[in-house]
Amino acid sequence: MISQPLDKQLPHGVADLFFNDAARKRAVERMLADTFARWGYSEIIPPMFEYYESLAAEAGPQLREEMYRFFDRDGRTLALRADFTIPTARIVGTKLFDRAMPLRFFYVGPVFRYEEPQAGVRREFTQAGIELIGAATADADAEAIALAMTALRAIGLDEFRFTLGNAAYLQATTRDLALSDTDDLALRDAIRRKNTPALARLLDALALDAAHQHALAQLPALWGGAEVLDRADCLNDDARAAIDHLRAVLARLAQFGLQDFVTLDLAENRGMAYYTGILFEGFVQGLGFAVASGGRYDNLIAHFGHNIPAVGFAIGVERVMIARKAHATIALDVVAQTHSARVADARARGEIVEVDILNREDDALREYARVRGAHEIWWRDGRREILP
Amino acid sequence: MITVALAKGRLLGPSIKLFESLGYDLGEARDSRKLVIDDPARGARFLISKPMDVPIYVEYGAADVGIVGQDALRESGVDVYEPSVLDYGGCRLVVAGQPAYQNAEWRSLAGLRVATKYPRVTKQYFSARGLSSEVIEVYGSVELAPMVGLADLIVDVVDTGRTLRENGLVELDEIFKSQAALIVNRAAHTLRVEEIHALMEQIEMRDSKFQVQNSRLAGR
Repeated sequence: MISQPLDKQLPHGVADLFFNDAARKRAVERMLADTFARWGYSEIIPPMFEYYESLAAEAGPQLREEMYRFFDRDGRTLALRADFTIPTARIVGTKLFDRAMPLRFFYVGPVFRYEEPQAGVRREFTQAGIELIGAATADADAEAIALAMTALRAIGLDEFRFTLGNAAYLQATTRDLALSDTDDLALRDAIRRKNTPALARLLDALALDAAHQHALAQLPALWGGAEVLDRADCLNDDARAAIDHLRAVLARLAQFGLQDFVTLDLAENRGMAYYTGILFEGFVQGLGFAVASGGRYDNLIAHFGHNIPAVGFAIGVERVMIARKAHATIALDVVAQTHSARVADARARGEIVEVDILNREDDALREYARVRGAHEIWWRDGRREILP
Repeated sequence: MITVALAKGRLLGPSIKLFESLGYDLGEARDSRKLVIDDPARGARFLISKPMDVPIYVEYGAADVGIVGQDALRESGVDVYEPSVLDYGGCRLVVAGQPAYQNAEWRSLAGLRVATKYPRVTKQYFSARGLSSEVIEVYGSVELAPMVGLADLIVDVVDTGRTLRENGLVELDEIFKSQAALIVNRAAHTLRVEEIHALMEQIEMRDSKFQVQNSRLAGR
């Protein structure tokens, strides 16, 4: 096969954005950032790349595998950031650990993952999210979930539903089993996919005692409203604490009036390897995959020197762009034939005014203004023409 | 409305029967040119597509649920729920080759060439065993590859094993057993609980004589 020259192509998984797509994306990013800011979050801007060792901390095998890595001139391994949570944890653990807690940070920017193509996934994509650091309370978890929901509303995605689970529950339930890594992976996979037949086979093969057998076998069915918390088997205090914590988070969400937008799912164990507590994902009508995901990570910052609990989430900006069918197109207000003081005044007022620089014929200018969505033309002689 | 993706081929007949037994009208489904069949009375739409496409439709949410062989499901690597296995579409995914390989410790040979329609599963299988293999993706009669020297081995589904025998091949190892499976899009499962769940339950109830366990009943 003769390969095509690369100079005019793009690598897989990246995209050029311009015109309305770029404008719409920036508008979404602004609305999300404004929402986060109103809840008391301030922006954090970590570097685009840093030492691989920092970013690989607690990232888990999959995310580590997906990092873009390269060498600096001294042969040290660098990596492009694959999320904002790990760099934020490094910053807090090394620089901000003695500040008054909690710290509230938001971020908006691109991250990079060498991922296989799958639903709604690019290799460079934009995340907008928050980290709420220094509190392990149900109030903190509820604030993170409520803010994720509020952010989706702010960009016009009203029909959403979140799944909510707790990584600590499965952790506690399997704690005493001393499973091999292979069995543990297979077990988590079957539970996550609600693959009841495979789970039943696996539990038979593991020959567990009746209590563990029952607790694990029913997990794929433990989703729905608050009643699933009553059905969960608690084999030890940690499992009970995990269930009680979910109950407390639900109660706090009720104070926001948001409890009805949550489906509990105790089988949920997707997400980042560093999650230690609640984990949640947001789905919106019309899109087959999650637009938001988050969770609690109480051991991540400790890796950078200080033991500080935290919770956070990220919204996939490209994904919400697909879901936002409303085309908030950024149209021109005015096309002016020549520059004038009136043009400068209008721009100062915030109107979008474009001046013709190709010296078009009248009809050509009228057609151009129509295509660009302008609603007025200002002619050279001072006439203002309102377009239909 | 609920959208159901059904895999074409040997699973289609039993899948149509399954939904007809639940009271859906798929009258036009047997007309092989029809890609979309609507049952407005029951608020359902059926998409008839190639088996390998069904997991993709469901992962992206173009279909809410799907019925597909576990072979195609594993090969696609998609992230969906797979709450139940159905009592039809049984087959096995196997490694096969010419009889000479039967005793010739093929597991210790380096640089084996393997022809298959399942490149992902095949690579996983060989690399998990530390074998270096060259996986050749073919789209039609895989059995041809060893006969003409294109490949040393093949990985393919077998039903009765007749096709292997007719082409002078023998089974060397079984990778997994496959059945038809019900798969569910994660967003649909969360956003449209009642609708999706009613269907899951109907399918599982009808199938309960076979079902080892099913997700809804397991917790009760």
